[in-house]
Amino acid sequence: MEESAYVSRRWEDLDTDILVKIFQSFDIFQLTSGIAHVCSSWRMACCDPLLWKTLDLSVIRSNFIKIPLEPYVYVDARSDKTLTRLLKISLSLSRGNLKTLIFHFNLYVSDDQLTYTAERCPHLRRLVMPAWNRIKKTGICKAIRIWRDLESLTMPSIANPPYLMEEIANNCKNFSELKVMGPFDNFFADTIRMYLPKIRVLSLRCSMIVKDALISILDDLQNLEVLNISHCLLIEIPPPPAPRRIMRELDQSIIEKASRLREFVTCMKDSCIMCQRTRNDEGIMRWYKYEEGLWKADEVSSLAL
Amino acid sequence: MSRKITLKSSDGELFEVDEAVALQSETMIEADNILTLPNVTSEILAKVIEYCKMHVESPEADDRAAADELNRWDLDFINLPDTTLLDLIRAAHHLKIKGLVDLACSKVADRIKGKTAEQIREYFNI
Repeated sequence: MEESAYVSRRWEDLDTDILVKIFQSFDIFQLTSGIAHVCSSWRMACCDPLLWKTLDLSVIRSNFIKIPLEPYVYVDARSDKTLTRLLKISLSLSRGNLKTLIFHFNLYVSDDQLTYTAERCPHLRRLVMPAWNRIKKTGICKAIRIWRDLESLTMPSIANPPYLMEEIANNCKNFSELKVMGPFDNFFADTIRMYLPKIRVLSLRCSMIVKDALISILDDLQNLEVLNISHCLLIEIPPPPAPRRIMRELDQSIIEKASRLREFVTCMKDSCIMCQRTRNDEGIMRWYKYEEGLWKADEVSSLAL
Repeated sequence: MSRKITLKSSDGELFEVDEAVALQSETMIEADNILTLPNVTSEILAKVIEYCKMHVESPEADDRAAADELNRWDLDFINLPDTTLLDLIRAAHHLKIKGLVDLACSKVADRIKGKTAEQIREYFNI
């Protein structure tokens, strides 16, 4: 005689696998809106690591205004509270499993929010954070010290990179991939050569690059495999009194030095709209002027979002 | 002549399906000639077979019209009462029919989205 196993006809007894599958189509707002409070088995499914490999907050922006003094943005309190609430819930559900964290370039995270976040995702491997207006040196360094597994960072260009690069060098032994959104000068190049000599992937797309800076990283970063300088404004700064000039094409020395790379991605075409935009924006791309999500693209697949 | 597989529902009803139909279920395909399903009623099993029969052949890659029509059929098919949906998901999951699991889960997701915890509990009787 066959046994008929008892199967509950109730929604709370649905297999965790199935619940997780249902929740996989939810965005961050829907995931944090209350399904974790329906019942204990749903809460357990909400915390499944499959749902929390990536926390994509790029759908959120701060409600801010620009101000003439540091930090050059003022974020309204309610907008901050919304972000804090969202961080609290999602980081709690993620149970420390997050591997990738993505912020929008107009999401101005505060120091406290960054620290709070870092403490709750200590195994982070990839951070995409294109704006640091409200982050202080101490804040970012504290976060880097927690993120020992960090491998990939997308960051804005900063005026004073050494403290950060040194922190990464000391704490993130697997760090290999960097994307800088903003101008790249000799100082930045020197810092990378000094503190991140083993870096494998570098993207500097859509920004101003000083030619000497480019040459120096091509010369010294022996482990570099992939370099993306698409749509960049390449500037040559000869000794005075000669003026700066914009290079219209790569010269032979650059091409030769780059030939050892596995992937050297370039685009310097007058007809290319991205190249035109970088030129019009004078090397500091104003992403807010363009199509939603355009900033997320990258010719290097591991850096694209 | 292609192999036929017999499925037996929890209430003792027998369903015969062609191999081509059964191919969509990993469980069915691995079974011997008869597969007993003590957790699936005849009502649900009939629905599962209806789905599989419709999906025996995927539309050609460039046939937008056929793909759209199949999608419309799917959406219409899955518009079921919640209790039926619950049983259907379980059956599809047990029988490892990926397309049907995805379709049913997507429908449930739609019914959940936008509701508060309280509303969800009320709606699904939790």
